[in-house]
Amino acid sequence: MTLLAVEGVRRSFGSLVAVEGVSFGIEAGEIVGMIGPNGAGKTTTFNCISSVIDSDAGTVRFDGADVTGVPPYALARRGMVRTFQQTRELETVTVADNMLLAAPEHPGERAWHAIGRTSASAQREAAARERAMELLEVFDIAGMVEEYAGNLSGGQRKLLELARSLMLDPKLLMLDEPFAGVNPSLTDEIVGHIEALNDEGMTLLIIEHELETLTDLVDRLIVLADGEVLATGPPAEIMDNEEVIDAYLGG
Amino acid sequence: MSAESGRLEDLPVDAVHLGAALFVLAVLLLYSPLFVQPPGGTFTVLEVVVLFLLYAMILVGLNLQFGHAGLVNFGPVAFFAVGGYTAAMVTAENPFGAVGLGLAWPVGIVAAVLAAAALGVVLGVSTLRLRDDFLAIVTLAVAEIIYDLIIAFRDYTGGSLGLNNVPRPIAGTTSAGDGAVLVSTIIVFGALAVLFYGVFRRLSASPYGRVLRAIRADEQVTETLGKRVFRYKLAVFVYGAAVAGLAGALLVFYNGAASAGFFTINVTVIVWIGMLIGGAGNDRGVIGGLAIIMGFQLFTRFLNDQIPFVTQDQFASLRLVLVGLLLMVIIKYRPEGIWGNADELGVDS
Amino acid sequence: MEIPLAQEVIFGLVIGSYIALGAIGFTLVYGLVNMINFAHGEFITIGAFVGYLAVAEVGLPLPVAVFVALGGTAVVGWGIARITFEPMNDAGAVPLLLMSIGLGLVLRNGIRVIAGPDRRSIRTDVATYRFDDLGFFVTSQQLFIIGLTLASVLVLHLFLSRTMLGVAMRATADNEDLALVSGVDTRRVRNAVWLAASGLAGVAGVMLGTAQAASPTVGFGQLLLIITAAILGGAGSPYGAVAGSYLLGIGITVSVVFLPESLTSLNSTMAFVVLIVVLLLRPGGLVNREVRTS
Repeated sequence: MTLLAVEGVRRSFGSLVAVEGVSFGIEAGEIVGMIGPNGAGKTTTFNCISSVIDSDAGTVRFDGADVTGVPPYALARRGMVRTFQQTRELETVTVADNMLLAAPEHPGERAWHAIGRTSASAQREAAARERAMELLEVFDIAGMVEEYAGNLSGGQRKLLELARSLMLDPKLLMLDEPFAGVNPSLTDEIVGHIEALNDEGMTLLIIEHELETLTDLVDRLIVLADGEVLATGPPAEIMDNEEVIDAYLGG
Repeated sequence: MSAESGRLEDLPVDAVHLGAALFVLAVLLLYSPLFVQPPGGTFTVLEVVVLFLLYAMILVGLNLQFGHAGLVNFGPVAFFAVGGYTAAMVTAENPFGAVGLGLAWPVGIVAAVLAAAALGVVLGVSTLRLRDDFLAIVTLAVAEIIYDLIIAFRDYTGGSLGLNNVPRPIAGTTSAGDGAVLVSTIIVFGALAVLFYGVFRRLSASPYGRVLRAIRADEQVTETLGKRVFRYKLAVFVYGAAVAGLAGALLVFYNGAASAGFFTINVTVIVWIGMLIGGAGNDRGVIGGLAIIMGFQLFTRFLNDQIPFVTQDQFASLRLVLVGLLLMVIIKYRPEGIWGNADELGVDS
Repeated sequence: MEIPLAQEVIFGLVIGSYIALGAIGFTLVYGLVNMINFAHGEFITIGAFVGYLAVAEVGLPLPVAVFVALGGTAVVGWGIARITFEPMNDAGAVPLLLMSIGLGLVLRNGIRVIAGPDRRSIRTDVATYRFDDLGFFVTSQQLFIIGLTLASVLVLHLFLSRTMLGVAMRATADNEDLALVSGVDTRRVRNAVWLAASGLAGVAGVMLGTAQAASPTVGFGQLLLIITAAILGGAGSPYGAVAGSYLLGIGITVSVVFLPESLTSLNSTMAFVVLIVVLLLRPGGLVNREVRTS
C-alpha cells in the first residue's frame, strides 16, 4: 500500500526555484532515504509535504487521503510526524514536558478540562507520563526527565526529539538529517532505534547529506538534485548511477 | 514546574475555591446590615487597593498571554477601557452629553465582557500571526486609537469630561458612608481577583499551560506536534480581553463614572512592569510584582507631601524616571524578575 | 475658512518632513540593530532642546544650531545606546524593546524634571510668500524644513552609496550573517547607525522646536507616526521610510479636508489605523519585507 504519494510539488522563493515538480511514493513499511547535495531541495520538500511552508503546486496524498495544504497540526494527528534539521527541542521546557506535550488527544489541553481539573485529563496525563517514561528509558535519557531540554547535550537532544516524535505514534516518521553532528557510536545507536521501529512496522523517510550511513539502513534511495528527483532505487543501484555520481561530484 | 503543579493538584482547596467562597461571603455581607468602617486617613491606601485588585485581574490575563504563551500584548488597557465605557454607556441614566441607555448594571457587566472579548477576537484574528515585536506595536496602536476615539466621540462618551450617572451597585447596599463602601468594594473585588487568579492558575498549571509554554518556546515545533497553535493564541488573547473588560466595568461601577483618565497608557505600563518585576510566567510572582510597583507609587505619593522645594509636577516626573530605571535594571540584570524561572524564560541572568 | 488642497499638501510636506528624519533613524536601527526603539522620540526631544539652547541661550544663528543639534544629539544618542542597548545586543527583540521603553520613560521624564513641562519655541524670523492665484502660501520656515529634510536625505544617500561604511551598512541590513562572513565589522556598523539615527533625530528635533516648540514630549508625540511611516516604507528601508513619511504627512493633512469638523482631532488616529491596515494587508510595506513569523 502506498502510504505517501507526492506528485509534482513545486516551491520557489522569489526568483529561486527550490523544488521543481518533485514526485515520489513511499510504501508502508519501507525505510526510504532522501539524499542530494546541499541546496538540492531536500528540506524544502520536507517542509512542503508537512505543510510547514506552502507549496506553489503539486499534491500530497497520505494514508489514502489528499492532504495537500492540510495544516501541520492535522498532519501530525493523522500520523505524519517530522523532525527538524537543527534539533528543535523546546529548550525552555523540561524533558518531561517535551514528551508529554506530544501526547495526542489530551483532554487537559482544552481550557474547560484544565479549569475543571477533570478526571479524564488526569487519567490521560498519567497514561501519557507512563508512555513517556517508557520511551525515555528506551532512549536512555530517563535520568534527565526533570532537566530543562536546553541543558541537554547535542546527542541527548537528538534522542529526545526522536523519543518525542514517537509519543505521537506516527505511521510515517520523517527525519531531517538525524545523524548530522552526531558521533559514530550515537549514530549506531540511532540506526538501531530506527531499525527497531521499522521492524515494528513504522515507515520512515530520512533526509541525509552523507551517503555512507544510509546505504545499509534504507530499502530505497531518492536522489534530489537542483530541486528535481534525479533517480530512485535500491542503494546499490544508485551508487552505480552515473548521473548521481556526477551530481555529487559536480555539486 | 511539574513537581510543583503536581503538589498543587493534590491540594483539595485552591484559589478557585477560595475566591468562590470569598465571593459568597462578600455578597452575604453586602446584603446584611453589617458593615466595616475603616479608620480615617486610610482612604488613600484603600483606593489604591481597589485599583490593585482590578489591575491584578488584567495582569492574570496578561501573564497567561505573555508569561506563558509569549504574546507581546502592549494594549491590555484597550480592553479595560472598552469594558469600562461599554458598561458605563449601557447603564448610565441621563449622563450629561453622552450616551446612556439606563439599563440594569448586570446587563452592563455582560455587555462589557462581550464587547471586550469581541475586540479581542477581531484583534486576535487579524494580528496574532505577526512577529512578536510587530504585535507589540499593533496592540499599542490599538490602545492609542481607542483612547483617541473616546476623546473624539464626545457626544457618545462625554469626551475628556467623562460619563456620569453610572449606577454604583455596591454603594447602593449601604448608607454607612464612603469608608464602608470602600471596604465592601475591596472584599468583592478581592474575591473576584482571587477567583480569576485561580482560574488562570488552573489553566497555566495544566496540560493547557504546557501547550502555551511550548508555543512560547517554538511555535512551529508545537504545531508539528499536533497542536492548533493559532487557536491557543487566540483563546488566551480573548480570555485576557474578557477579564480586562470585566475589570473595566467594575471600575466604572465603583466610581459611578467613566473617565478617560482611568484608561491611559499608564495602566499598561504599570501592569507590564509589575509582571516583569515579579517574573513573567510565575503566576504568584507577577501579583507580587504588581504589589511592589503600586506600593512604590503609593509610598512616593506620601513622600511628596514631606519634601519641600519640589513641585508636584517635578515629583510626578521623578517618580516615572524611577519606574523607567527600575524597568531598565530588571531587563538588564534580572530579566527573569524576582520570582521568575530563568531556564523557563530562556534568559541569562 | 475653506483651505485649498494645494495648501494642505504643503502642510503635509512639512509634517512629512518632521516624520521623515525620525523615521529614517528608526528604520536604520530596526534594520541594523534588529530592535524597535521606543526611545527614538526622546532623541528627537534632545535635539529640540539642544537646538533651543543653541539659539536662545548661546545666540547662534539657526543654521549653525542645526549642526550643533546634529552633532550633539548624535553623540548623546550614541553614548546612551552604547550604555543601554549594546551590552544586550543578543537578548532578542522583546527585551530590547522593553529596555527602550524604560529608557524612554527615564529620558522623557528626566527632561521634564529639569526643564519643566513648558513649551519653548525656537524663535526665528518668518517670511510668508503668497501665491494667491494658485490659492496657497508658503513660509520661509516651511521651505527651510522641507529643504533641510531633502538635504539630509541627499547626504544620507551619498553616505550609503558612496562610502565604504555606508555600503557595509546596506550589506548588513540585507543579510547580517553574510556581511559578517564577508568581513564587515558589524560593531562599527552599529556605531555608525546609532550616530546617524541620533543625529537625524537631532535635526528633526530642531525643526519641531522651530515650527512647534521644544517640550519634554515633543518627540514622543511623533513616535507612533514615525513607526507608521517606517513600516509603511518597509521596516528597515531608509528610502522607503522617506516615502512613507511624506505619504503619511500628506495623508494626514488632506484627510482633514474630508473628515467632519468634530473629528479632525482624529487625523493622527487615522495614521495608526493606516499602520494596522498596512501591517495586516501588506506587512512588508511599500517594498516587501518579511515581518510575519511563518
